[in-house]
Amino acid sequence: MAEVVFKDIVKSFGSFTAVHGLNLTIAEGEFVSLLGPSGCGKTTTLRMLAGLDFPTSGSISIGNRVVNDVAPGERDIAMVFQSYALYPHMTVYDNIAYPLKKRGVRKADRAPMVQKTADLLQLTELLRRKPRQLSGGQQQRVALGRALVRDPKVFLLDEPLSNLDAKLRGYMRVELVELHRRLGRTMVYVTHDQLEAMTMSDRIAVMEGGKLQQFAPPNEVYREPANRFVAGFIGTPAMNLIDGTLANEAGAWRFASPGITLTCPPLTDDAVSGPACLGVRPEDVLLGEGPIRGQVQVVEQTGHENIVVVKIADGIRLTGRAGADHVWRPGETIQCAVDVSKAHVFAAGPSGQRLNRPLTKDQPRLAKEGA
Amino acid sequence: MIRRIAFNLFAWTIVLAVAFPLFWMVLTSLKPQFELFRRPPTFLPETWTVEHYWTLLSSTKFLTYFKNSVILSTTTTLVVVAIATIGAYSLVRFRYRGRESLAFLVLFTYLLPSVVLIIPLYLMLVQLGLSNSILSLVIAYTTFALPYALWLLRSFMAGIPEDLESAALVDGASRLGAFRDVILPQLLPGIISTALFTFILSWNEYLYALVLVNSDSARPLTTGVMNMLVSSFNIEWSLLMAASVMMSVPLIIVFAFLQSYLTRGFGAGGVKG
Repeated sequence: MAEVVFKDIVKSFGSFTAVHGLNLTIAEGEFVSLLGPSGCGKTTTLRMLAGLDFPTSGSISIGNRVVNDVAPGERDIAMVFQSYALYPHMTVYDNIAYPLKKRGVRKADRAPMVQKTADLLQLTELLRRKPRQLSGGQQQRVALGRALVRDPKVFLLDEPLSNLDAKLRGYMRVELVELHRRLGRTMVYVTHDQLEAMTMSDRIAVMEGGKLQQFAPPNEVYREPANRFVAGFIGTPAMNLIDGTLANEAGAWRFASPGITLTCPPLTDDAVSGPACLGVRPEDVLLGEGPIRGQVQVVEQTGHENIVVVKIADGIRLTGRAGADHVWRPGETIQCAVDVSKAHVFAAGPSGQRLNRPLTKDQPRLAKEGA
Repeated sequence: MIRRIAFNLFAWTIVLAVAFPLFWMVLTSLKPQFELFRRPPTFLPETWTVEHYWTLLSSTKFLTYFKNSVILSTTTTLVVVAIATIGAYSLVRFRYRGRESLAFLVLFTYLLPSVVLIIPLYLMLVQLGLSNSILSLVIAYTTFALPYALWLLRSFMAGIPEDLESAALVDGASRLGAFRDVILPQLLPGIISTALFTFILSWNEYLYALVLVNSDSARPLTTGVMNMLVSSFNIEWSLLMAASVMMSVPLIIVFAFLQSYLTRGFGAGGVKG
């Protein structure tokens, strides 16, 4: 069993609290990403799991064993650092063999294990080299090899791909997913890159300000963001978040902001009249027809599609996606609409809760609507 | 092109100006006594001789002083480097109250002139019953070499990424194991510079040796040679120059041996970003 459980974890550095009461259960064999902007507490969380930092309160367990007071080396974990942290004075072979050596594996037994790992990661040719003689991608593989050689219970990865160029990063993403599938080990992956989190994880733990915002599979985080922060953080281009007011008119909730008025999707009982925020993904903005009138401001061509930014009113803009064959010109007047069935409503404030009910598959699609 | 020649000329002028006294020292030590005061002076000796060296080695206490200096400098270097390495590790890696103030307090002791410290230090050593011994000099030298060594090693230590140590800990090393396997090899250039600095400092030290030790059995070279060859009425120039040459030899050897380590093995490339 290698279930990882964080229970009421608080971590303070002096007067600064990096992690506020984190509760998180990572299932055996699961690939979980800790995702969030810089300073959200994700790396601190990982370091506590590794035993390099100690929680101020709360408990961490790995496979039903509370590890708060267990030294890093005895937790049966392996970690890949953002900086790779290869030992510069040792050869690639010695780097990979080091965890074995420290755990008392005999010299003769180490060789085949290192060889096997090197074969797996295509490092065989490089075993006699020193880290500084390797390219970034090769160093990255050595760091991975050092983690893999010992078959630990839990793998911890701290932004392992952030120092690679874009092409190699895409390649390594696939490699890591493949590796996870093959090993079936629990992996905890820290990243600020939502694309990595979305493409690789079984579940994503979105963190902000030291608090867990949402812990759910990638699709759910994307389609059912728990609050305004998650909604804005996940997705490129980002979700349109439009501040306005919510009012109950004869049993139906109406959202209104300059340029847009619409009937909300079904809301929960937490909804109250007053300031609120409408969230619409760019793909749920329909360009070309509809009741919302605006002016095209910017068109970004990505090749397979165009990202169109439309100004609806002062300070209010809608970003929409259009096929690459649609040609919109900046300055052009445009009609558009919002697919209300996929829109979200959030309470006021930077991390306001989502107020609409989860979208279920069998829920009837509501009519396009607008002002 | 002209700028390069001018620059080279300038550099060589400085090198020669610095090196000339050293040449002169070697040449003088190889001239017979009667040639020293000739006018005009001869540049190269007319007759080459090693008799001054022989005299020093066979009929003076030069070798005793030499041995004292070697013991003194080596011990001081070992003590200072050992304490400074551990101290620097603590100052860089651990967080505790007063850490920064402690570091500055240590530096502050280095700012006080030795003359101010020497009398209280002498009295303390007398009361401890350590005066007039090599050990007293080891202690005295440590007091002024350690602060600087600590600061030097601290900056080297701060340059070693913390991730390296974290990686070793996760890989199963104890804190001490990580220190030995990962930190020490990375710190080697720093340790060698510090050792070199401390060794030269204690080898050349004069004031403390003069005040704290006045028996021939414990005297190091600096005060020993002065005491032996310089009196109120006479200075044995030939012997003094020969002694100076022989005093410089160990430093040259140590430097030649260690300077290749100074530039080798800097831990570049292990950590990216």
